[in-house]
Amino acid sequence: MTAASITCTDLTIRFPVYGADAKSLKKALARAVAVGGALGRHAGVTDVTALEGVNLKLQAGDRLGLIGHNGSGKTTLLRALSGAYEPDDGSIEVHGRIASLLDLSLGIDPSATGYENIRLRCRIGGLSSRDIDARMDEIAEFTGLGPFLSMPVKTYSAGMQGRLAFAAATAVECDVLLMDEWIAVGDADFQKLAHKRLLKLVERAGILVLATHEAPLLKLYCNKVMKLEGGVASEIVDIRKLDQLLKS
Amino acid sequence: METATHMLRTGQRGALFQFQMALRDLRNSFQRIGLAWSLAWHDVTSRYRGSVLGPFWITLSMGLMVLGIGFLYASLFDLPLNQFLPYVALGIVFFGVMTGTVNEGCDTFVLASGMLSQTSLPMLTFLWRTVFRNLINLAHHLVIVVAMLTFYGYWQTANVPLALVGVLLMLLNASWMSLLAAIASARYRDIPQIVVSVMQFAIFMTPVFWMPSRFGKHQVFLDLNPFYHLLQAVRGPMLGQSVQGHSYVVLVAMAVVGWLVTFTIFARTRRRLVHYL
Repeated sequence: MTAASITCTDLTIRFPVYGADAKSLKKALARAVAVGGALGRHAGVTDVTALEGVNLKLQAGDRLGLIGHNGSGKTTLLRALSGAYEPDDGSIEVHGRIASLLDLSLGIDPSATGYENIRLRCRIGGLSSRDIDARMDEIAEFTGLGPFLSMPVKTYSAGMQGRLAFAAATAVECDVLLMDEWIAVGDADFQKLAHKRLLKLVERAGILVLATHEAPLLKLYCNKVMKLEGGVASEIVDIRKLDQLLKS
Repeated sequence: METATHMLRTGQRGALFQFQMALRDLRNSFQRIGLAWSLAWHDVTSRYRGSVLGPFWITLSMGLMVLGIGFLYASLFDLPLNQFLPYVALGIVFFGVMTGTVNEGCDTFVLASGMLSQTSLPMLTFLWRTVFRNLINLAHHLVIVVAMLTFYGYWQTANVPLALVGVLLMLLNASWMSLLAAIASARYRDIPQIVVSVMQFAIFMTPVFWMPSRFGKHQVFLDLNPFYHLLQAVRGPMLGQSVQGHSYVVLVAMAVVGWLVTFTIFARTRRRLVHYL
């Protein structure tokens, strides 16, 4: 197996923004009639450039922190790395199994029980039913929810839901881990557990890309940092230069 | 989250490249077909969670409908029950698979937006999820069909292998319609309403509840109705009737052309689909 790596070359991503209007067929037809059959034209659709010419090269052992204001393109970059968004220009190449923890509620069905949700989440994460059976006890123990796992998730408190989602999401082995805004889940006890598991995952993962606003978190998990501003990326610098980067 | 260990995504490189990417999506969706099955199974069980009968509500409600319509129309049209009940049962059940697959196709991508916007799961996985969900429903409905055919003794004349060919043709056609509805509904939110209306119209214009012989001199409208051929290819063999050869020509041609057109649209819009949602 080749070692994990991420390479982005001149990565540009543009969003077409379809206004609330543009989703209506009537509007599209009306426009087509009004301008004489210009349905194919990009009428009424504005492009927003979310990322522009981002170059990125990461190897196993790199733990990159992404900083930047809201809307600077952090999440877009993570989604592009996860394979959900396709580049408009340039390319992304990722070697290794990717796991994205962008949204803890991914694939969580509130009316299903805790066990069923773990199963569902792990299936989406790429585990087979047999793998899940083998790991279920371990995952269940990690959540610390005990008998509550047989109850529907909608009866859980927010903290309990967080525990469940975190445990299920991190059960999948990966080489490249993408995380967005590390949300503090659960109480102090669980945070300690989560922290330990995350460190283990980071150790095993090879590459971590973490987007966050919190400097202490960056210093804890990352060894490199990159700043995004209006979709344009800065140079990747060592984490020790974080304060400099924050000020600039 | 891709289990594959290599992912390469590049910018636009023309139509051929889009086609290759769409084909890869198709291939990946087959490689992870188990995921589509798990999601479909989860959909069915979660819909009936907490109810005493569970998924057997699917069977029960269909049974009531078949009996109700069967007895009513049999007496309205003066038809013998042993002919009409199996006929209506097969009609409603298999037409239901078609309408279900196409109507639910409208939600295929819209409901999956969360997953599509943060993982690299193949998009067609969600199409198969919709198709599988309807197949699971069909399995529950088959109980009624089997009971009817057994009760009225149709098994000696039934041509099951030919009916299975019909089911296959029906699924091939319903799935491209479903995909087309899924793409269009993601882009234009009026499409689901249109699709539902069309399918509702189709169920009354197609001989589901009534005999085609009643159409008299308007027979040509039956031949123009694709749903008639779709239904007849399944129902005919089960009732021991022969299916006209041109029905198969229509069905195969429709499947091929439908898939070609829909797959081209899929290839052209695939990159943008996630932004539509």
